[in-house]
This record gives sequence, structure tokens and C-alpha cells, in this order.
Amino acid sequence: MTSIARSFVSGARLARSFAVIAALSLGSVAALAQSATPSSLKLQVNGMVCAFCAQGIEKRLKAMPETGELFIDLRNKVVAVEPRPGQALDAKRVASEVREAGYDVVASQTVAQSVAQIRAEVRAGRAER
Amino acid sequence: MNSPAESILDRPFVPAPAVRAAGRVSRLAMLCAVLAAASAGPALSLPMASQGGFMTMADLNSSGERDLAMNYAFTGRDAFGVMAARWHEPVLHAGVHRRHAEREAAGLTYTRLVHRWNLPHAQANLWFVGSAGRARGEQGFQAQGFWSPAVMADYETTRVYLGAGWEPKRGSSLRHDVGWLRAGFSFYEVDYEQVQPWFIVEAKRTRSLGASSDLVTPLLRFIHRGLFVELGRNREGTQFNLMWAY
Repeated sequence: MTSIARSFVSGARLARSFAVIAALSLGSVAALAQSATPSSLKLQVNGMVCAFCAQGIEKRLKAMPETGELFIDLRNKVVAVEPRPGQALDAKRVASEVREAGYDVVASQTVAQSVAQIRAEVRAGRAER
Repeated sequence: MNSPAESILDRPFVPAPAVRAAGRVSRLAMLCAVLAAASAGPALSLPMASQGGFMTMADLNSSGERDLAMNYAFTGRDAFGVMAARWHEPVLHAGVHRRHAEREAAGLTYTRLVHRWNLPHAQANLWFVGSAGRARGEQGFQAQGFWSPAVMADYETTRVYLGAGWEPKRGSSLRHDVGWLRAGFSFYEVDYEQVQPWFIVEAKRTRSLGASSDLVTPLLRFIHRGLFVELGRNREGTQFNLMWAY
């Protein structure tokens, strides 16, 4: 093989190597991006009128190993909870814990927000009013 | 010779034998009534914690009366506990309250959430608070067993509180009732992590076989998560109530 041909082959192998490395890197970035997307469970709760009453909800939800940050919004009757890193929340189980604490869950939804974002949004809305 | 009307007015009032007997019994009844009131704890929307939790309650006033109670919620609707109380029992003399005698009592309590209504912006509850135990006291008071089936109801929002209760006391020779009404409002709504102040007025009527008394107490209430504190003032002195759920 001439020197020029050898150069082409080496270059091709090098390019292939770069392509593999690039593909792996992009895949890792994509995975990181996915895990960095916040996600929380929001529940609409009836009967939650004071902190003394609602502290039972906080106690039960914090006892669950998969729950992370928690936000209780007494004015809007909302409980927001996000999973711990690497964990997933079972919406039915979370709702069951709130019912066991003595309250009624009338609706639940998963939102692409962290608890900190939900809390900031609620307080910003309150400040505007 | 005096006219019948003048002779009646001149003579000191002496209750009929049945009333005198009831008067003697009424001291025990009042003791048990206060005991029951003590065992029922302060008039609150939640006289028990959530399942698996403890509730500690204390009512103190500047005249030296004490009510202490603790219970454990073994279900979301049932709690068992203990109580101890010390109070000043009005003593009847010739049908008139002349002095007070100190009484002490201790016993067991059972609290049941009979029903709860969870509304979009309010909560209402119906409670049963039962107690039974032993009481003792000074001035010839014989130690005696007592029992009390009390009921309470409340309605509250984030800004308004309404409550009512009836605590009848019964025993082998006791009959004593305490009824109360509470109403109040919160000065403003707060976030869950903040302290919320309230203004509450309590009107309470205590009735035994030989006496009835009314007491109105304005109170300031502060709630922070599982801690509940009330401070009030009435004609009998300063009132301090505390509840702690954990």
C-alpha cells in the first residue's frame, strides 16, 4: 500500500473513531439532559385548611423513601412532591398516603417542574396580586 | 307575729333535703365534670394526631389549675391516651358558692373521629372524646370513679374557625355538664411554613346540680405546623393552652 493509501486508511480509521466518540458523547449529553428535566407530582386536596391539620400529610409523605422535596400550598389546596434522584413516584401510592392522613385527593397530575419552581411560581403569582 | 311573706324572707335559704343531697353530690359531679373537661382537652379541631402520631395537650391558668393529656393515634380515626388534672371545685354552702376546694384526677382517654367532611375550601369534624378514671380531693371529698362521654364539632377554613362541645360528667353520684362555643378568625392567610395568628373567643357554661357559671375568654392563637399555642384572659385569670402533634 502506498503511503498515500495508508494515510487515507489511517484517516478513515481516525474519523471512525472520532465518530464513535462523538456519538457516545452526544448520547451521554442526551441522557444527562433527560435526567435533568424536573418532574413533580401535584395533587389537589380537599380539607387542607391549616398547617396543624396538614402536618400529618407532610409526615406521611416524607416517610416514603422515594419522596424528595415537598411543598404544601394551603391557599390553593395543593400538595406538590418530587422524587428523589434516581427514584420514581407512584401517583396512586402518594394519593393513598394523603387519604390515609385524613384528606380527599380530587385530582393529580405530573408536571415538568421541580418543587422549587412550583413554589416560586405560586409566590410570584401571589406577589402580583 | 310576722306575716308569712316576711317570715319566709327573713329565714336563711335552706335547700330541701333532696337538693342538699344533690349539693353534696354536686361537688363530685363538678369534680368529674372538670375532670372530663380536662380529659377532653382544649376545644380544637384536632384533639389527636395523624395515624402513628402522638398529641400532647396542656391547659394552664394563673389560678393554679392544670390539665395535661397525651394520646397516641393507632388508626387515622382512633387514639388512646392518658390525662391528669388539678382544679378548684366550687363548694356549695347553703346553696351559695362560698369557697373552692382543690381536686385532682387521672384517667384514660379514648378519642374517635366520628366523621370528617373534606370540602374544597373547608373542613368539618365530629368527635367523640371519652374518659374514665379516679378523682380525689380535699375537704372530705371521697375518692371516686368517674366517666365522661364528650362530643365536639368544628368547622374551619383558612380564615374562620367555629367549634362547639358538650361534656357531660356522670358517675355513681355525679351529674355535671360543660358546654362551650368557640368562634374566631385568622388575621391573614400564611404559607405552610409560617406562623398563623388567630383571634378566638370562647364562651363556656359549667352546670352542676347546684350551680351554673358562665365564662367568656378571648384568646390569641398561634399555629406553626404541629404546634398550637393559645393565650387568653378572663375574670379568673390568664389562660394558656398548648397542643403539640408529632
